[in-house]
Amino acid sequence: MTTISSPPDAARVSPPPVPAPGGGTTVLDAQALANLSQLDPHGTSRLVQRVLSTYRGSLARLLSQLAQARAQSDLAALRLVTHTLKSSSASVGALSLSGLCSAAEQAVRDGDLDALPALLDRLEAEAVRVDAAVSQLLSTQPT
Amino acid sequence: MTLPHAFDADDSSERPTVLLVDDDEVTLMLTAEALRERGFEILEASSGEQALALLSERMPDMIVLDAMMPGLDGFDTCVALRATPGFENMPVLMLTGLDDEASITRAYRAGATDFFVKSTQWSLLAGRLRYLLRSARTRLELERSKSKLARAQDLARMGSFDWRRASSGQHHGGLTLAPEALRVFGLGPDEPLSMRRLIRMVPMPERRGLTRVFGEVQSHSTVLAIDVPVNLPSGLTRIVHIEAEPEFNEQGHSIGYTGIVQDVTDRRVAEDRIRHLANFDALTGLPNRRQLIWRTERALDHARRMGHQAALLLIDLDRFKVINDTLGHAAGDELLVEVARRLRGCVRHSDQVLDGALEAAGNRGHRSLEAVGRLGGDEFIALLPEVSDESDAERVSWRILEAMREPIFVGGQECFVTASVGIAIYPRDGVSVADLMRNSDVAMYSVKNAGRNASAVYSPMLAGRGREKLELESALHKAIERNELVLHYQPKIDVRSARMVGAEALMRWQRGHTLVPPGDFIPLAEETGLIVPLSEWALREAARQAKAWGLSFGFSDSIAVNLPNRMFERSDLVEHIHQCVSAYGVPHRAIQLEITETGLMKDLQNVIPCLHRLTEIGVEISIDDFGTGYSSLAYLTTLPISELKIDRSFVRDLGITPQSSAVVTAIIALARSLGLRVIAEGVENLRQMEVLHRLGCGVMQGFLFSRPIPPDELERWLQQTVLPRKAPWIVPAAAERVELPRTTGGRRP
Repeated sequence: MTTISSPPDAARVSPPPVPAPGGGTTVLDAQALANLSQLDPHGTSRLVQRVLSTYRGSLARLLSQLAQARAQSDLAALRLVTHTLKSSSASVGALSLSGLCSAAEQAVRDGDLDALPALLDRLEAEAVRVDAAVSQLLSTQPT
Repeated sequence: MTLPHAFDADDSSERPTVLLVDDDEVTLMLTAEALRERGFEILEASSGEQALALLSERMPDMIVLDAMMPGLDGFDTCVALRATPGFENMPVLMLTGLDDEASITRAYRAGATDFFVKSTQWSLLAGRLRYLLRSARTRLELERSKSKLARAQDLARMGSFDWRRASSGQHHGGLTLAPEALRVFGLGPDEPLSMRRLIRMVPMPERRGLTRVFGEVQSHSTVLAIDVPVNLPSGLTRIVHIEAEPEFNEQGHSIGYTGIVQDVTDRRVAEDRIRHLANFDALTGLPNRRQLIWRTERALDHARRMGHQAALLLIDLDRFKVINDTLGHAAGDELLVEVARRLRGCVRHSDQVLDGALEAAGNRGHRSLEAVGRLGGDEFIALLPEVSDESDAERVSWRILEAMREPIFVGGQECFVTASVGIAIYPRDGVSVADLMRNSDVAMYSVKNAGRNASAVYSPMLAGRGREKLELESALHKAIERNELVLHYQPKIDVRSARMVGAEALMRWQRGHTLVPPGDFIPLAEETGLIVPLSEWALREAARQAKAWGLSFGFSDSIAVNLPNRMFERSDLVEHIHQCVSAYGVPHRAIQLEITETGLMKDLQNVIPCLHRLTEIGVEISIDDFGTGYSSLAYLTTLPISELKIDRSFVRDLGITPQSSAVVTAIIALARSLGLRVIAEGVENLRQMEVLHRLGCGVMQGFLFSRPIPPDELERWLQQTVLPRKAPWIVPAAAERVELPRTTGGRRP
């Protein structure tokens, strides 16, 4: 369960897991990716590719919704976007991103608006890294 | 819980259909894939609206809803779903975040069956879904079973209830009834019924008993089972059966009762009816033998305790059989009903069914035992539970005789009925019901013997004769098995040829060293029904004798056996005769049957079919004692009979009164014109023989030829008297024979 998110309290006190500088390997969790490919062990339905490309599409859409919500200070939209991104990111192994989403969602829910801009900045930055990693992963997948 | 076969299917053997609703495409895709992998059919929807639209066409086995969705979120979708007919009990699993306790509460409030924290551990989700499916099925089955139970209870007019004690502050206690139980009390499902109101529905006399029983049962925490009358709001009174068991808490303290109520009115009515049928005579409505014996036992118990006397009166109608025979059974029944009505007026008759309610009535309760009852047939009993002396009982008996004096109008005519009453007094004439019954019977028979239409009190003097009769009856029962019965034979003689042309079998009872004549036991045999086995034995024995004589001296005529008319009513008579003759290998005509004219005419309609069958198989019928009864001549022409037997009374007076020879002449003429043989019985002297012969009757029997004698003696008689032609009757008959053509020739056309 802890792969989905860190405890909410911990998220607020200490920063969520942040990728080590220069180390791209922790952007996508290897175990989560392995779980994913377990769903389609022989690759017959090309599940990993479909999931990863769906995730990329979804990520792009959610990031634009996030930008819009930030611009309009729409907290409800913010909460929904972070919530959705939290679980789909967890699914593809983007655990850092998922953790940031969770912390942001919690902050919205708690009304902790002071911490929110910094959190969202980090989230957007991590999202860029995840997108790159997913893109790279997709290119190495057999077609 | 054992599920019926339809729900017993192994979950893994089928693919349950799950509707997944999630706005996150990635999660949706992965969850769908993971569940398909684990044996589920998946329908997908990416929003609440889409899910609801899809459900109008598809019916999944369960629904997995993401709680957080734009637009219609999981909670609102669930609420909408529950409001849709058909989806009230659909299993819905709400997916929430781990850190979202508020959502969990909301999920249940929205009507979700369960919640599940979103995770990528798909087997956990699949396991939870299977569990949900199973519990939904179990729940469905419970619902069905509950509704079946409700329906069964409804049909049985039964319902369950709970009653809780008021416990110190925690629980205010009270009565809770299921809708079916409320219906038993004539109340709707929303009409409350408090214990107080329930008790008030019970009518007053029983209410006190009910509260007492409730109190006792509660204080001892025992099982309750009671039937109470209840006045329903509609005004009807029903009998309600209440049955309940105490319930205890963990500390073993009684917390109340749980049980059922049932409307048992119909059953009680049926039970009362059965009880009535078992205790009362269907024809007259009077207490029957069983009820009479029961009442008498109670009355004797009471008399014994209180030291007073009681009386039993046995009332037997005089010559009731004659009325039954002449007017028919329907008229006889009508008469019994009227007699019952009159008898009832002679005592303080009580119609109550009594079986134990007596004690409540106190010391005078035994008075309610007083009654007239019907023992059976035309026998009635009056029970007087308390008399000061026998004159009390005699006064009642006179009242009874007086009540019979008025003619009774039945079957279109007035009948005069009298009765014979026998009285036995407790304890003087007996201390048990059986003794009193027997001695009142003895007293009643003494009245019959003394000329009927009177009453008599039992005295030990009377018992002598009665006991003799009883002994005779029981001895006669054993006579057949002990081979004490014998047949004696009287030859039938054709005087013209001086030959034996047959024999009549007559029953004798060799009882020890004495030979009992038929007149001393045949009437008793008729009375007791023993005549049937006696007659059957006679037929068998006659067939055996016919065979023995056939072998011994070439006998080929028939042996006549006397049968009472009731034998001719038995459907098995023909078969029985057939068996008798077959057993000894003699033809059917070896047996001839004699029925008296009176017996024949009394029961003509019932006897005729049998006569026809007998004639068909070759058994000839002879009418005995002819001329003494009142034969319908019209019938006589059509009856399948072969022979008329002129009664001995006419033969006796032949040559003395001119009337007797006129009757004999008429019978002979009648027989001749009907083509019947004629035979005279009771011929004792030569003069009678000569006259009979002259009148045209050539076959006769009587002491002149031979008394009825044992079969071996008859053989000797033939050897020593008939064959050597040594008898005094042979010469004159032979002389007559010479003149025969002249004498009879004139009468023949």
